Amino acid sequence: MAKKRVETKKTPPLPPLPPPSTPPQEMPEEEIPGEEAGDGSGEEDGEGSEGGAEEERGESDAGVAEESDSSEDEEEHIGYDIAGKKIRKQAKRDKIDSFLAGVDDSKNWRKIYDEYNDEEIELTKEERRLIGRILKGKTPHADVDPYAPYVDWFEWEEKGMPLSGAPEPKRRFIPSKWEHKKVVKYVRAIRKGLIKFEKQKEKPRFYMLWGDDSSSAENTRHGLSYIPAPKPKLPGHDESYNPSVEYIPTQEEINSYQLMYDEDRPKFIPRRFESLRNVPAYESAIRDAFERSLDLYLCPRTRKKRINIDPESLKPKLPSRKDLKPYPSLCYLEYKGHRGSVKSISVQITGQWIASGSTDGTVRVWDVETGRCLKVWEFGESIQHVAWNPLPDLPLLAVSVGQDVVLLDTGLGNAEEQFRAKELLHVEEDDAGQCDTKPLVRWLRHDKLDAIRLEHSKAVSSVEWHFKGDYFITVAPTILIHRLSKKLTFNPLKKLHGLPVSSVFHPSRRILFIATKKNVRVYDLSMEKPKFMKKLEPSIREISSVAVHPGGDNVIVGSKEGKLCWFDMDLSSKPYKTLRAHPKDITNVAFHRSYPLFASSSDDCTAYVFHGMVYSDLNQNPLIVPLEILRGHASSNGRGILDCKFHPRQPWLFTAGADSVIKLYCH
Amino acid sequence: MGNGGMGEEASTQVQVRFTTKLPPPLKVAARSVAVPSNLTRMGLSEIVNHILSVGDSDHQPQPFDFLVDGELVRMPLEQFLLAKGISAEKVLEIEYIKAVIPRKQDDPCPHDDWVSAVDGSNKRFILTGCYDGCARIWQDGLSTHVLEGHSDAITSVSIINKKDMESSSIIYVGTASKDRTLRFWKVDADEPSKNLKKVEPFTVLNGHTSAVQSISSEPSGDMLWAAKEADVEDESVSLKKRKSDSDALHEKSQLEGSAISTLNGHTQCVASVVWTERQTLYSASWDHSIRRWDVSTGENTWNMVCGKALNCLDIGGEGSALVAAGGSDPVLRIWDPRRPGNIAPVYQFSSHTSWITSCKWHPKSWLHLVSTSYDGKVMLWDLRTAWPLAVINSHSDKVLCADWWRDDSVVTGGADSKLFISSGISVS
Repeated sequence: MAKKRVETKKTPPLPPLPPPSTPPQEMPEEEIPGEEAGDGSGEEDGEGSEGGAEEERGESDAGVAEESDSSEDEEEHIGYDIAGKKIRKQAKRDKIDSFLAGVDDSKNWRKIYDEYNDEEIELTKEERRLIGRILKGKTPHADVDPYAPYVDWFEWEEKGMPLSGAPEPKRRFIPSKWEHKKVVKYVRAIRKGLIKFEKQKEKPRFYMLWGDDSSSAENTRHGLSYIPAPKPKLPGHDESYNPSVEYIPTQEEINSYQLMYDEDRPKFIPRRFESLRNVPAYESAIRDAFERSLDLYLCPRTRKKRINIDPESLKPKLPSRKDLKPYPSLCYLEYKGHRGSVKSISVQITGQWIASGSTDGTVRVWDVETGRCLKVWEFGESIQHVAWNPLPDLPLLAVSVGQDVVLLDTGLGNAEEQFRAKELLHVEEDDAGQCDTKPLVRWLRHDKLDAIRLEHSKAVSSVEWHFKGDYFITVAPTILIHRLSKKLTFNPLKKLHGLPVSSVFHPSRRILFIATKKNVRVYDLSMEKPKFMKKLEPSIREISSVAVHPGGDNVIVGSKEGKLCWFDMDLSSKPYKTLRAHPKDITNVAFHRSYPLFASSSDDCTAYVFHGMVYSDLNQNPLIVPLEILRGHASSNGRGILDCKFHPRQPWLFTAGADSVIKLYCH
Repeated sequence: MGNGGMGEEASTQVQVRFTTKLPPPLKVAARSVAVPSNLTRMGLSEIVNHILSVGDSDHQPQPFDFLVDGELVRMPLEQFLLAKGISAEKVLEIEYIKAVIPRKQDDPCPHDDWVSAVDGSNKRFILTGCYDGCARIWQDGLSTHVLEGHSDAITSVSIINKKDMESSSIIYVGTASKDRTLRFWKVDADEPSKNLKKVEPFTVLNGHTSAVQSISSEPSGDMLWAAKEADVEDESVSLKKRKSDSDALHEKSQLEGSAISTLNGHTQCVASVVWTERQTLYSASWDHSIRRWDVSTGENTWNMVCGKALNCLDIGGEGSALVAAGGSDPVLRIWDPRRPGNIAPVYQFSSHTSWITSCKWHPKSWLHLVSTSYDGKVMLWDLRTAWPLAVINSHSDKVLCADWWRDDSVVTGGADSKLFISSGISVS
């Protein structure tokens, strides 16, 4: 403060006024307005002069250094003027003078001594009022309304012309990417079940008031070892101290208790007391306590965890055999007549006749219904394979004997069919003379049987017809395809991967399956050259037989170690299922043409019948259920059943045994 | 049940009263007798015979069969009562009838090959069909006529004019064969038969494309049906109806007839046809179904699927409406086509052990049946019990055909090339 008081003033220091400590509130406000007005005018004049003086001081500020310090009271001057002369303080008036001046001057109460400028100031009426308002804590100016209604000067409504001419930014229109991401995350979590909205659990309307202590669910929080003590039986009437007479046992009854075993003896014998105070102390209290301690001591402290799994439940669920009827189960008919083991059988497509070839060198045709042998042909050499032509009106039989394949006319058709068969079997032996180029197969006439003889260079092991009845295939052991109507022979596969065991045609398409000892190769014959399509790898030791499902998409393969592999051609080249069925070699496998059945025959004298359902729905895998083991054949020279074939229309199975009997198993 | 406790003692007795519908010499007085409750049919038969012989000194003992509440007694009496829940304290009414068993076995008639068909509808002779392609007529154990002509096995034979065969000695015979033909023969049965007479067919009917399995003639004898094996190509099976009007046949012998209508519907070989009335015809097939056809419209009026391939069919029984059929299993089943919506058989007889090859209702009785099977047995059945009345074991191989003859005999032919006649069967 003192430093700033460098300003000089010539005005002499005024005697200090009585401080205006007296609260202005106490001041009577009975001032006459006219007086005030007069005061105001006088004041203004004085101020005007002072204003000029102050300006003077302001200029002097720059040049004059401030020397005058703290002891201004002691100093006689209050500052210096522009010329550097001291401005002297006014002569201090003593108290009495000032008092007297105050008494005289009615305006004295509103005069204030300004110590800085050393003068007395007379407060105007406005100033006084201002001070009063400040003291009251109000706004200094009376005409200011602090609670005036707010005037919103901003124009919120658009007036067509925006505040800024910039176009709306693009971000206003794009939904938030991060919000979207967040939402997607939540949706996924909800779908996956990571976020679960727990339903408000409904409280049961009725509940046990004191809890259910029989259930241990609540007790688990005490730890696994907690086992609730068994609840004691509630006392009944007989435990009363004064029970009814009928509860009291007679003396004989009590005596009879003594004869009973300890365990059977009643633990408590009701007694009667006149009053409660006659009841003695509990006799066996100590004993009970001891036994309870003993129980606790001997009680095992570990809880044994035992998993109870029903072994039945681990088995795959298979439909009941009863629901899968009909299937062959019982042997009703036997076809007897061969004198050697029957190597091969074939059922005619109408199901009226079966043909069989045996090691005794005969081919026989049997009536299925009666079991009567209709025809016998003697070949004098062991028959390898027989196969009916699949056309119902062409009862031809292909027989493989040694190195020959003989196409026989069975003579079972009517006259017209006989004529057709005769024409088909007519062959000119024109190439008999020219043997410069050795043909694959020679088509010769078999004079004795009025048949065609196809002379192969090596022994023929199997003959299979194409479903249209014109082509047939022989395995000798090269694969040869013959065409009956043109009397032609092809060798479609020059190179064979392994020794072929058997080969079959696809039941409805021009596809050939060739089974070698290790795998099954599938060739497409619809092109000029056979095209390799697929290789099925059963990973078994030696393939013995192969059969194609009438739908054509499933193949079963029998092996010499007794395993049966089911291939789904659409799935993979590995077996869909491998059934370990027979303890000995599987000799043949067969599919039924219309029923969902397949069978395998084996050297262990049994034939297995399976249910093999193939669904048209591609998503559903085939259903395979073992159904029946057909027994009845006798073993001969270690061989059992050599061939099995289904009846084309009935759920019947023919089996050819090494015991020279053919059996028919019916449903 | 009152007899529950009594059954344990061997000496319990039941009060019975024997009744019968038999004529007086075989009638016993209607009073109650106490008999031991563990008696079987044979014991009861002895008692009845004893009572009869007391009343009539020259009575020949004979076996009887006993009916309690319309059911034949086939086990000890106390077991029977227990099983049926009949009180043993009341007087039990037992009706006795003559036992239906063959009393006499005639000498077999030897054939050259399997006997595949037999017809006993004429009282004077038996007609048989054989696998050697010949049909034969047998009188008194001797073959009088041989009907030669078929080139393959005969599957079915039928005497056509059944109605007037008693009056006229000329009979017409139809045969079906595996050579896909039907042949008709005219036989004069009454002419003196010192030597074996050979008969030539007067009509050959072609038209079947496969073996003809069964032939059945219309009751009046004007037409006949033949069933044939399945025609595989079009999966339809036809039954051929051929007109063989008797008058026309007289004039136009050696002329070929033609099929009047074909009934399509079966999908496999039709094994048997039976023409019961003029308008209805039944057929059984290997496609597991039995169908009834309306002859005039060719409509299939009833179709029943049984789940087994069927070999034989006969219509008879109560009101000539029950269908008996056997097939590729050892069970002889009887259906009642009058029951609506019910395809469960009303009776099942399952004592055979192999396929059933033929079944025939008794021409007069509603209750009796004969059936043959590949197990070599011929069985007589009564609808009132599930056990066979009699088992004829005379054949040594498969039995292929059977028929009733003269109401009291059963003629059967089989794969042992023999025709057996079991006579003396007293079907009341």
